[in-house]
Amino acid sequence: MTLALEGVRLIDFGQYLAGPFGPMILGDLGAEVIKVEPVTGDGMRLASKPFFGCQRGKRDIALNVKDPRGLAIALELVGTADIVHHNMTAGVATKLGIDYAACKQVKPDIVYCNTWAYGFEGPLARFGGLDPLYQASSGLEYESAAVREGNVPLYYRFGMCDASNAMLSVVAVLGALYHRKRTGVGQEVWTSLFDGGAIFTSDAHLVGGVPAPRPHLDKELMGVSATYRLYRTQDDDWICIAAITDDEFRKLCTVLGVAEIVDDARFTTAASRAEHRRQLETILEPRFRTKTATFWTRTLDDAGVPNEVPLDTHGGEIPLFDSDNVELGLVARYSHPLLGEMRQFGELIDFSETPGRVAGPPPLVGQDTRAILRELGHQDPEIDALVADNVCYEPDDHYAERFVN
Amino acid sequence: MPGALDGVRILDLSWGIAGPLGVLLLAEQGADVIKVEPPGGDPFRAYDGYRVWNRSRRSLTVDLKSDDGRDVFERLLGTADVVVESFRPGVMERLGFGFDTVHAAHPRVVYLSCPAYPDGHRFAQRPGYDALVQASSGQMWEQPGWRSGPIFLHMPMPSMGAFYLISTGILTALIAREGTGRGQHVTTSLFAGAMLYTTQIWQHIEKSNAQLHELMGKSYPPGIHQTMIFECADGWVHASIMSGLTPTKSQDAILGLEDAPDPFVFMALPPDEREAFTAKRREKFKEWKRDDLVAAFQEHNHAIEAIITPDEQFSHPQLIANEMVTTVVDPVVGATTQVGTPLHMFGTPTAVQGPQPTPGQHNAEILKELGL
Repeated sequence: MTLALEGVRLIDFGQYLAGPFGPMILGDLGAEVIKVEPVTGDGMRLASKPFFGCQRGKRDIALNVKDPRGLAIALELVGTADIVHHNMTAGVATKLGIDYAACKQVKPDIVYCNTWAYGFEGPLARFGGLDPLYQASSGLEYESAAVREGNVPLYYRFGMCDASNAMLSVVAVLGALYHRKRTGVGQEVWTSLFDGGAIFTSDAHLVGGVPAPRPHLDKELMGVSATYRLYRTQDDDWICIAAITDDEFRKLCTVLGVAEIVDDARFTTAASRAEHRRQLETILEPRFRTKTATFWTRTLDDAGVPNEVPLDTHGGEIPLFDSDNVELGLVARYSHPLLGEMRQFGELIDFSETPGRVAGPPPLVGQDTRAILRELGHQDPEIDALVADNVCYEPDDHYAERFVN
Repeated sequence: MPGALDGVRILDLSWGIAGPLGVLLLAEQGADVIKVEPPGGDPFRAYDGYRVWNRSRRSLTVDLKSDDGRDVFERLLGTADVVVESFRPGVMERLGFGFDTVHAAHPRVVYLSCPAYPDGHRFAQRPGYDALVQASSGQMWEQPGWRSGPIFLHMPMPSMGAFYLISTGILTALIAREGTGRGQHVTTSLFAGAMLYTTQIWQHIEKSNAQLHELMGKSYPPGIHQTMIFECADGWVHASIMSGLTPTKSQDAILGLEDAPDPFVFMALPPDEREAFTAKRREKFKEWKRDDLVAAFQEHNHAIEAIITPDEQFSHPQLIANEMVTTVVDPVVGATTQVGTPLHMFGTPTAVQGPQPTPGQHNAEILKELGL
């Protein structure tokens, strides 16, 4: 079967996370992704795990774009491509000679995407930045910790503003590709970490200048209402419940042996339960402590009360080896030449007619340098000279001394 | 200038966060979105925040369990490019509009399904509220907090991953359709959305070592970035070691810290000396007003942000510069201030297309377009 993005070629000049993750996802959808990596290696390689998480399936040419010969090769590559993608900070791509104007000159219908920290212009556009700044600027860190309850703000360790910026870039690039398919016209698009954070709290809005109501966490970080939260159980385990409707609340109370409170005027409607949240929680908390989490989930299931026992993943090992996840393609498995078998999340979108695929492990620095240069029509003696002059790099006997992965 | 998806019609049957927000990113690229909801409206409308996630579309109320309703929807399918639904596996089949049936009659339609769990998974028929997927996917356990055990994530993270997978899946299938001439079944899930955000933390590596795991591992107190959160006189800030710029004055000098060690010397200090100095730094931060400190750091090329409430975003100068603060006049509550469209496309501009419609607001208009 034809891949969804069969025949689409993307040149990825990005480093770190918020640039490279988008091309990786487009690669999973079938695009051919060529990572143009500095001959000194992507700055994120040292961190290993986050690096691997954003690089699988790419081909890799190691190139010093600051050298005129390196720049010429970079632009040759752009000339063969459909998409150019990177996360350089303000002015860098122009200085290097690979900004939109330069790329458009060699490929008039190119789709060009820059993922910024803050944005294309504006008071902070000159800054780069890391994910935590945008967990702060969007209000995530304030809400994640219930700062209003007196807690210290809490950073979410998923780094999801990086991923959000990258996913915004995927959506923008795909929109631009679709437009190009229909009109033949390319364009420049951009996204940012800053906006990627803002979308996570986008339900926050002002009505006539006044903040609209939003649910908040309690001080213990259990949940946002007495019936949509975690409870601690007898075995020091946990259960998460989502008893949203009046009917589900009634069933919950019956299961917990407190059926009498259903008719308590404080708890008869969702609004009154919200108003008397703490009182209701004080009744329910000791009840959950009387039985194990396994008992409660089975009993609540039988009664029809939505619930789940939170999964302790042991650092991701449990879900990556879960047979349902593996069989459904939610886990990707590949072999890395230095690090052996690797697993990560797999294909997150399925297509009935034009499938995606995970093309392989994260690349070594410059593993495809020679193959890509040959495809561009360069001869081996010239390639040898480029490597000897450190304009290009390909793995050699000293690879392990030079790079960690 | 028309948007990239000008002329693309999407029928949105989804409820919750992921479906409406995933569709929003397409609506604001110019797609004509019709929200098809039951008489009385999508039950998630009870949440105020839906006003944002559910904007930029028209609303048609239809009872898909009635013959008349099914007839209207069947006609509508004849005009559609995309159908989006978020029910449990099997629900659309029972309504008579499962993928196979729709595809047979309308082979060009891209049909996207986003249940909580994928069809074929042992969890497929379990209830799919976002918090429950946070629990079952392991996200709650992955997040350290101020106590041990799982933490309820205020951000609905599975849904906030799945909405991107929805937009991405639809666009990819539309592109593929340009080649094949055919639509197809595109499926994702809230569970897959949860996995999207494990990219930096879930890696199984055969020949790994402890050090490699430690850097990004879960820890108490919470990990590396947490140490850069500081309390000021009137609020909190998150500072950063990296701005991409060359600082014109050190952070310690700005703070007014005397005898501050060079950062590299600091890193090499014994832990107790490092801790003693960090305590002095924390005291200095408290002497500053939050916004004054942010301004002083930024002036000297240090990356820093105030830890604000979500509502405070709307006065952030960069959000304004990104044209991400927008006024939307809601048909029920009037003028609202909302986050704008985060896709910036110079060739095909994006824009908010309008407020959240009231249930059935466009019934007459749409039925007329269908010739009914």
